[in-house]
Amino acid sequence: MKHITDEDLTLLFYGEHDDPTLAVMVAESEELSARYDALCAELKLADAYQPPQRGDDYGAEVWQRIESQLVGKEAKTGGRLGNWLASFIQPRFSMAGALSIALVAALAFTLGRNGGQEVINNPIATEGAVPAMAMADIDSSRLLTHSVSTHLEQVNLVLTQFVNTSETSSNETEYATDMLVANRLYRQAAVQQGNHKLAAFLADLEPLLIELAYQAQSGSPATRERMQQEVKDGLLFRVRVMNKQLNKPEISV
Amino acid sequence: MTQIEQKIIRKAAKGDRAAFRQLVLEHSHAMFRLAWRLSGDENAAEDIVQEAFIKAWRKIGEFRMDASFKSWMHRITVNTAMDYLRKHVRRKQFETAEPEWETLDRAAQVPDTGTQIDISRQTQVAMMDLSEAERTALLLKHYEGHSIQEVARIMEITTGACKQNIFRAVKKMRVALRPLVAT
Repeated sequence: MKHITDEDLTLLFYGEHDDPTLAVMVAESEELSARYDALCAELKLADAYQPPQRGDDYGAEVWQRIESQLVGKEAKTGGRLGNWLASFIQPRFSMAGALSIALVAALAFTLGRNGGQEVINNPIATEGAVPAMAMADIDSSRLLTHSVSTHLEQVNLVLTQFVNTSETSSNETEYATDMLVANRLYRQAAVQQGNHKLAAFLADLEPLLIELAYQAQSGSPATRERMQQEVKDGLLFRVRVMNKQLNKPEISV
Repeated sequence: MTQIEQKIIRKAAKGDRAAFRQLVLEHSHAMFRLAWRLSGDENAAEDIVQEAFIKAWRKIGEFRMDASFKSWMHRITVNTAMDYLRKHVRRKQFETAEPEWETLDRAAQVPDTGTQIDISRQTQVAMMDLSEAERTALLLKHYEGHSIQEVARIMEITTGACKQNIFRAVKKMRVALRPLVAT
């Protein structure tokens, strides 16, 4: 039997060992188990080494300190006329965003039409370990989970920016419009798939995204403050928690 | 990387400050954590974070969209921290003739009561006893959760050299932390 070194156990601890049988060998051998447990206990102590906390406004503080030192390039703008022309020439959505939306639309269409029952041509399904019908469900569920997770990362990014700025920017409304469209499609897909918890969560997000998308035309500073408070009071936290849950495959959402 | 993040990076690369501000808001906390663990000092970490963002602003046009922005920022933070520490530790040694870590060692010589603070302090001392390369590799692997390949890319070394740094660091850390396990 191959001699197992501490280096092997370290790689196993970090999930980086090439040999998938090593974990089994460790579990089956008392001596290896004892060595591995000792390594885990010692390395887990290092988790106590935590940096001092920084407040929610830390990013804004850093920006304030560095803003004046950012020199060397300015945004290339074409002046008022250029911007006005650009608003007609530039597409409302980026290609990447459009592709993403098309993908979700396709997902929603497929789920809606087949109810997630059609067999997807997946090589794993032919191995016989899992019935093909169940495999199709799992694949469409994973596709939705992955798409929504990416969507929530984007929502998190835009909401973080939103609660830290006092004025509406065109970027903000543009991103919110993109996200609103995507959010609706994901919600429909979740309903089709019977994932009512996810659908309800996305439905909760929608009113805020609508307000964000249209605040440039109608929003007052007071409205913005009220919305920022709403986001700070829990919505941002809920978005992060939901995204974490989606990234844990063992927990069904 | 999300599509919106790509969009923001492209805008920042063209000189859009609002877009770059979004990146600062998003990545400041993570960069502070890394900078603090690399330097072991709050004020130094603050300086490193600021300097790293200023460098990122200058170099963002060189960022490749197929790479991970987080890893790219970590590479800048690591390089900035190394420059900072070499400069400041050298200056401090010249001014006080007392190595910075000796002060830290003395502070750490508290009774081993096994409290979270003792463990944290002991870990910090052990961490600072590692070489720069060992410390960086371990931090990026253990606390930041990068794969060994990513750590190697960030440190601009081979995967083999990266593994060796992690192994040496783990060995030293285990020796330092072992007495605390039983407490």
